[in-house]
Amino acid sequence: MNSYPPELLVQLAPVLFVAGLDLPRPPQPQSPPPDILPQPQPQTQGDQDATLRPRRNTTAQDPFTALILRLREALTSQRKVAIWQPERNKAFQVVLVDKAVPFPPRKLPSDPQLPNSTAHSPLSPLLPSSPLYPDGLIAPIWIRKHTTLVPSVFVLFLRLYESPVTEPRSPLDLPDGEKDKEREREERKRDTELSAGVAERKKSTNERGIKLTVVLMASRRMLDDPSLDTRLTFIRRQSGLDSRAALFVLSPVSQSELHDFVRSLQQALFEPALEYYTSHSKRVRRKRNRHSQVSSSAPVIMHPIPPSGSVGGAQTAKVETIARPLRPEGWTVRYEYKMASFAEFRGEDEVALKHYQDSYATLLSMFSSTAIMPPRTKRWAEAKVLADCISIKICKLYLYNAEHALALSQHNAHTRRFAELSRGWGIGEETYEYWSWIARQYRVLGELLEQGTQSTLAIPSHIPTPPITQATPATQPQQQQQQQQQLEGMRALGLNPSTALQHPGFYFYLAAGCTERRQARFLSILDAEATQGITPSPSYLNEKKVDHLTLILELYTKSYELFKKYAPTTSQGQGRLTLWIACRIAQTYVAAGKFDLAARFFERISRTYRREQWMSMLKPLLASWYGCAQKLSDTELCVKLLLEMLAQGVSPSPDLTVENALMPILETTAPSSNNPITVDLSESEPFFDVSVVFYEPEMEIGESMPFQIHIAAHDGASSLSWLPVTELCIYYADDSPPVVMKRSSNGNQRAVKWISLGDINFDQSDEREHEQVVEGDLTWEKDGVIVLSGTISSGTPRPLKIMRLVLKLEKNGWKIEIPLDPEQRRTGVLPSPRWLSSNNPPRFIPMRRAHYSSTTVRQRPHQLRISLAHDEPAYLDEQYPISVEVTNIDDRDLDITVDVLLQPGEDDSINHISIGDESSSSLINGVSFGLLRPGVTSVKALHLLSTGTAGARVLDISVQSSCPSAVPPTPITPTPTTPGVPSQQDSTEHLRTISILTVAPFTVSHDITYRHRNARTALPGLGSLATFERDYWDDSEGGEATVMSTLECAGPWGIQIESLQFVPEDNDHVRLAKNNNLDEDDGGDFPSELLPGDQFCDLVVLGINPEVSDSSTPAETSVLAPGHHIISWRRLPAASNSEIPPPLCQTNIRLPALSPPKPTLLALLTVPPLGYLHKPLPLTLTLRNQNITQTAIIHITLEPDPQGEAFVIAGPRNVRAPTLLPGAECELKWRLIPVECGDAVRLPRLRVVHKRSRMSDADTSGDAVESQAGQNEEEVRIVDTRWDGLLSDTKMESDGKRSTNSPRPSVDVIRGGKGDSKGDDTGLRTIIVLPRGA
Amino acid sequence: MAPPLRLHAVAFISPLNHPILIRSFSQVKGDELKYHYIAHTSLDVIEERIASSNKSTECYLGFLYAMEDSAVYGYITPLKVKIVLALALSDSVIRDADITMIFRAFYNAYYQSLANPFLRLDAPQDSITDHSALLSQGSSKWKGFRRRVDDVARAVGAVVTTDERD
Repeated sequence: MNSYPPELLVQLAPVLFVAGLDLPRPPQPQSPPPDILPQPQPQTQGDQDATLRPRRNTTAQDPFTALILRLREALTSQRKVAIWQPERNKAFQVVLVDKAVPFPPRKLPSDPQLPNSTAHSPLSPLLPSSPLYPDGLIAPIWIRKHTTLVPSVFVLFLRLYESPVTEPRSPLDLPDGEKDKEREREERKRDTELSAGVAERKKSTNERGIKLTVVLMASRRMLDDPSLDTRLTFIRRQSGLDSRAALFVLSPVSQSELHDFVRSLQQALFEPALEYYTSHSKRVRRKRNRHSQVSSSAPVIMHPIPPSGSVGGAQTAKVETIARPLRPEGWTVRYEYKMASFAEFRGEDEVALKHYQDSYATLLSMFSSTAIMPPRTKRWAEAKVLADCISIKICKLYLYNAEHALALSQHNAHTRRFAELSRGWGIGEETYEYWSWIARQYRVLGELLEQGTQSTLAIPSHIPTPPITQATPATQPQQQQQQQQQLEGMRALGLNPSTALQHPGFYFYLAAGCTERRQARFLSILDAEATQGITPSPSYLNEKKVDHLTLILELYTKSYELFKKYAPTTSQGQGRLTLWIACRIAQTYVAAGKFDLAARFFERISRTYRREQWMSMLKPLLASWYGCAQKLSDTELCVKLLLEMLAQGVSPSPDLTVENALMPILETTAPSSNNPITVDLSESEPFFDVSVVFYEPEMEIGESMPFQIHIAAHDGASSLSWLPVTELCIYYADDSPPVVMKRSSNGNQRAVKWISLGDINFDQSDEREHEQVVEGDLTWEKDGVIVLSGTISSGTPRPLKIMRLVLKLEKNGWKIEIPLDPEQRRTGVLPSPRWLSSNNPPRFIPMRRAHYSSTTVRQRPHQLRISLAHDEPAYLDEQYPISVEVTNIDDRDLDITVDVLLQPGEDDSINHISIGDESSSSLINGVSFGLLRPGVTSVKALHLLSTGTAGARVLDISVQSSCPSAVPPTPITPTPTTPGVPSQQDSTEHLRTISILTVAPFTVSHDITYRHRNARTALPGLGSLATFERDYWDDSEGGEATVMSTLECAGPWGIQIESLQFVPEDNDHVRLAKNNNLDEDDGGDFPSELLPGDQFCDLVVLGINPEVSDSSTPAETSVLAPGHHIISWRRLPAASNSEIPPPLCQTNIRLPALSPPKPTLLALLTVPPLGYLHKPLPLTLTLRNQNITQTAIIHITLEPDPQGEAFVIAGPRNVRAPTLLPGAECELKWRLIPVECGDAVRLPRLRVVHKRSRMSDADTSGDAVESQAGQNEEEVRIVDTRWDGLLSDTKMESDGKRSTNSPRPSVDVIRGGKGDSKGDDTGLRTIIVLPRGA
Repeated sequence: MAPPLRLHAVAFISPLNHPILIRSFSQVKGDELKYHYIAHTSLDVIEERIASSNKSTECYLGFLYAMEDSAVYGYITPLKVKIVLALALSDSVIRDADITMIFRAFYNAYYQSLANPFLRLDAPQDSITDHSALLSQGSSKWKGFRRRVDDVARAVGAVVTTDERD
């Protein structure tokens, strides 16, 4: 920016002249003459106006001096002259001037000789004495005139005269009239003098329309003086000041109050300042309008060229033969520029922008014609500067308004337009002038942005806004939706990258790049000058003085700093962008010959490039770095760089191979020290591609594992046989000496070379004093691979791998070591490990195993024989024995422990395991089998007790063996065992899993028959005391149930039942009536053996008294838990080991729930089973109404047998029984006299019908027959008490879950039921009739 | 109608910031290295973008920066492979939709090539998902990826000169 006149670039602000703030001069006569811009001086001692004031102590500061000092500071410090100043706070550009400062002449006559010639401004192109005469556009001096010589407002600070105070003044004193008059006269005289001075000033400011404001400084006392107002009025009238904002009075006040004063003063004066510049604008606009009219009507040059013109524009005349006056376009440029400037003074940025743009556009149109603007003249150069400056101003004004894209587009358009023009002017892209200019443009833009970012400018981020996926709600007004759609449309468009504002570092970088090109163009001309002797032009001579490299460095450094400043805070260390610039800086250093600096840069940069494996960028960098090292004659660095380049596969220069560069160094120079140079390429590409392959992933102690090390030069490498390799060290472990391979004489020229390493024993390496040495042909041919092959073994368990290899070169005192890391791989190359299976011709097997480059040495596993013996299937509730037998078949003593884990069952049954004393439901841990010598067997019995349901039980048995002698007293490696390293503990674990099928020992089925309460036992009366007795058994609702349980031996093993016992449940609803097993005195059949398929029955008769539900309808009542059988049994021992009887087991079998059927109306027929001919026998029918709510109306019909009567019946044949109330019972009796004999004499057929009215039968069961009389008839089943017994409808078994047996038919039980046919009843209702006499 | 885009170069960068493939379509001789630098430096901006918009699932990172004659755009795949485009800087609006489309095409080319089973033919099993598998497809040994990238570039309108190495 320094290359442009600052006047054309700075931000303009209204100019305020402040006079009268000169510091009181010390009494010395040699005080400097008043400067236009005097610097504030701290000197306050002297008091010039001593006569005007009472003398004070000389050391005390005069309040007015302090006031002046503070005023000066407040006024000058508020605004600094700067290019970037977007704030609009109504601040003036304050210029401190002398009271009597003259203004420059407004207009001068164009010809001093002609008194009536038109007068022009001294800077007008029309005035011959003007520097712009005759065709200059606008000069920086014009701006300077308005910023330093002519103000918009003039503020004059003056002291108001104050009469000396007469003190002390006693209140008793009479007012001294004489003295007062004297004082008033003096004041009036002083005021008149002051007014005259102001009037003089006012006259000169009025001429230019400048506002004059007077600030009178007076003491605080004076402010209270009643005479002040009259004095002020007098002064204003006398001096002809305006009525508004023209006269202020200020007394010495504090700093903050002073600032308020300065602010309010400026605010009051801002309006007149704006008016001042507005009037200027108006004047210029008038002139422009007049001019454009004239020029449009008369495009001819209107002003004759004065003959003295050539004298005035002496410099121009040299270039131009004829001095022509300014063209109409030029006037437009001039006027627009002026208007823009005045608008800028006023702070109207938008107006200023408009005028600047107009001015710029016209200027461009002037440039497009060489006739109007002949190139390479002074005016042309001036205009070019002007155009650049206007362009910057336009950019700046756009940026003030945050219109980044417009600003950049102005900048781009400017550079593009002038690039085109430059081609026409012969300073196109092939010239340094062009690049110098374009570099300046970028630099100025960068500087502008830098200044901007230091205050208000924010660099936008160009993160794309994510597309709005959610649909806009329909509730939004239509207009808003449209607006939103438009906005989205704009966003969807994307951006124009060339108008995307970036931080200034980018523009400095571009400027540096342009300067590099400028230098290149210049250098080519320099060459041309040397060879062809071109005559140098003045600009070329000028260019020669330029230190291009310093310029480039300066720009790059600036850019580097800015990039660093704007680097994201998240990235650690150095950003990549800065590295790029650093790289350019380094290259500039190389060009400038500062090789040491450049080398340091290269070292730093290469670190990042290596780490991120951007080898493409590292390669040219290495070449440049090598160039630096050469220049610095750093041979060691040279060697290192050359070896790295060799690894990268690049050559230092196109016509020089690494071999040709490296070997001379090694041969002709000597290293600085005897210490070997280590070339560490661990971050770079590896020197050789090393891959270590072990044949198997695991090996046992004492075994030998073959392995191979493939060392290959990188792809496309030429023969490396020239490389002075002397030896290759192979390190297996950190603490043991390496295996050293010495280079033997060259053998064959084959690409694949196979070298044997022999056997390497790890255990011996610890004791080995010297390194193991082998010999081999260590030369690499083109695309050569050296395969080192050997076997490795270890006596201790450990992971094995090749730690590292070191390649050693030696030549002429040089010792170079290149470590090779087997883990390191070339960038972008997938490892493809191979095994050389045949040497001639070479054949490889791919090794696709994971972790191919390491192997693990393991302990030899212990040899054990484990057998688990048991007799499947197991029974439930049985202590099932499993014999665990462990035999040591190893050759070592082994300590055996066993863990047994019982897996939880599928059902939630709880099972138990036990060994010896230990018992658990899940895990038995660490059962010791003791120390077993080789060949010794140890057996332990494991018992499994299964409960719940049948099914498989799963046991995990882990047999751990450890070798007590193998644990060494001191561990081999002192370091603690790391994960992945096999434990030093020599132990083996054998796992066995067995699944044991478990079945139930018995299948149980239950047959249940129910019997009604005995008909002959009548119900006790309602109030019978017996019902309250403890042992009163009310079975009116229940009766008796006979349960026959059948056990069958279901498993494959026989069972011996030791005892069987029925235990009734202890509740009020059931009691044991009879158990056939208990009837036996001698304990029954027990113990009895059941072989598979054998059955065993137990009969239990239970009196039941089911709970009566409250519901009105007869419900199925049941006894849920009648009781259970307890069976003690044991498995029948097998014949082989019968000496130990198996343990006794106990199984509980629950009876099923008893649910007797419950008819509501009961007819019980009682008849003796045996009768004698002609001897009467009774037949009794008991009717019982068990319904709780309904009355029973019962009709009984005794039907004669159609086949002939067997009995003579005494009693009614057709009768209605008494109405039975709920719970009531009645008995009907007949006497029968048999008249037939036989074993099955049929009894008379009885029919019992329950008749009910239809109204009440809504809820009765569906088998009611509807008679014609409109009554429901329901036949009541007659139960013969001799055969009373009802089989329950469902077949019951011991447990609902175990239903394995098929239901067996019950033959001996009368099947009763409502659904049964009549024929069944009658057919069975017979008795035996014997003839008399038996 | 905006002028057609001119593709200068495309770069594929691995999640560990190693270059996979940098393909230059510029006709200017000796410009290849420049695009390597551009690809490398754009990582700075990409990292900044990712950090600033954390948890964003957007792949397209937008305009990164403009340098000399190239406008640089960035894209990051869900598996953190970065794709960088260098376009000729012209004074016209570049539609984000167009760029996103080109990026998707390149991304597609990338993962189609990565699916090549022969890429890992000789590699040991533990390195199937290895980082170097990503890098290896950019090497001159494998031509499919280059071919696909060149196809996309041709479709965009770049003049593709066949590599001497191919």
